[in-house]
Amino acid sequence: MLTHNVAAPSSIRPILSYDCHCQVSNQLLFPLSPNLNPGTWKANRKLKGCRLKASFWESIRSGILKNNTTQIIEPPSTLEKEEEPLPEEFVLVEKSQPDGEVEQIIFSSGGDVDIYELQALCDKVGWPRRPLSKLAAALKNSYMVATLHSVRKLASSEGDEQKKLIGMARATSDHAFNATIWDVLVDPCYQGQGLGKAMVEKLIRTLLQRDIGNITLFADSQVVEFYRNLGFEPDPEGIKGMFWYPRY
Amino acid sequence: MAHKFPPILLVFNRPTALYSHRIGSKTIFVIHSPLLSLSQAMLSRGIVSPFRTPTFPFPTTTCKYSISDQDLESRGFFLRRTISDLNLDHLNSVFVAVGFPRRDPEKIKLALEHTESMLWVEYKKTQKPVAFARATGDGVFNAIIWDVVVDPSFQGIGLGKAVMERLVEELLEKGICNIALYSEPRVLGFYRPLGFVADPDGIRGMVYSRKQRKKK
Repeated sequence: MLTHNVAAPSSIRPILSYDCHCQVSNQLLFPLSPNLNPGTWKANRKLKGCRLKASFWESIRSGILKNNTTQIIEPPSTLEKEEEPLPEEFVLVEKSQPDGEVEQIIFSSGGDVDIYELQALCDKVGWPRRPLSKLAAALKNSYMVATLHSVRKLASSEGDEQKKLIGMARATSDHAFNATIWDVLVDPCYQGQGLGKAMVEKLIRTLLQRDIGNITLFADSQVVEFYRNLGFEPDPEGIKGMFWYPRY
Repeated sequence: MAHKFPPILLVFNRPTALYSHRIGSKTIFVIHSPLLSLSQAMLSRGIVSPFRTPTFPFPTTTCKYSISDQDLESRGFFLRRTISDLNLDHLNSVFVAVGFPRRDPEKIKLALEHTESMLWVEYKKTQKPVAFARATGDGVFNAIIWDVVVDPSFQGIGLGKAVMERLVEELLEKGICNIALYSEPRVLGFYRPLGFVADPDGIRGMVYSRKQRKKK
């Protein structure tokens, strides 16, 4: 059974600045990677050469900015040659409510998922039930599992936070040439905010950084446009996806 | 086929599992004796009805594949399922011969080490691989078949089919029901008789393209 034990992301996030040619808030909450020596991640680091695609960020911002103070804090979406490796975990979005409650949406490619939470999420989006043991095995055998968690904490109570799985995407791969993305899902309560887009985007970027050149997926007809906007092309050069005796 | 099928056979929505021979004025129907896992898969998909087993007296082949292992062996071909004894440079040559780009053998080795199932045919005489296919996946739900190749000098004799039939069976035996692949347009006709359907229910295969991304 897989359970999630993220080192408490609450109070220990240093805030760094980086060069950014955009109008979004200039703050990056530094990711917490369990592999890093605690001494190193506190150091200031500047991300090199990041250019944000204004249109992409506008679309995210307009979805998120309501009456709250929202900061978009994340690395750029375009892949630069000299880009530093994408951190395993970082905050995608942070929202502050007027009552002091802060909600962070955290992206993680570390892969630790509570399968009970995942099962509940699959139920929520209306997917057919799959045996828990098989779910666990599928995750274990996946090359990469990306998750979105919502972390809510009140400003008053230190260290008291609610963490919830709100999205997942996974990719299988041969570690060298090809990767295929499966099971992309976002909690319906959090849909329409660009989170699914961001999650898949990050997944792609991590795969590309690991030098997996061929990233593929199979899309239901209603989400072909969604993936087209992320850079996927259906039937490139006439190449067709085929399934063995599919159940309709 | 212009034959009139008895009603029972209409449960087959893929007439590729059966074919007929004309002998004189008689038509003999032949159905491949289904694999245990293959038949289970077909049962669950409603392709074969569990209650209406064929009862008419026609001969069934005892072999579960188009060509049996013995047949292949007698023709000088060995079926192999592991990376051991597979010369990656020879494999790379086969890839190049069919039009794949030449890839770094170290990367090929890495890919094969992380490949769930693979099947290849060794030509006894030269001890070289002449057919190959592999599948990656999560081991429980999904599998994708990649790198299906047959050396051009050995095409057209059923080696590709032999490799594919066995690979699919292996995946089914593991309980993997979702088997997919990406097919170039000119070989769609190779995969269809094996039971593969393109774009079922409107599902599209999509590939990430960096050029596409920059266009936006």
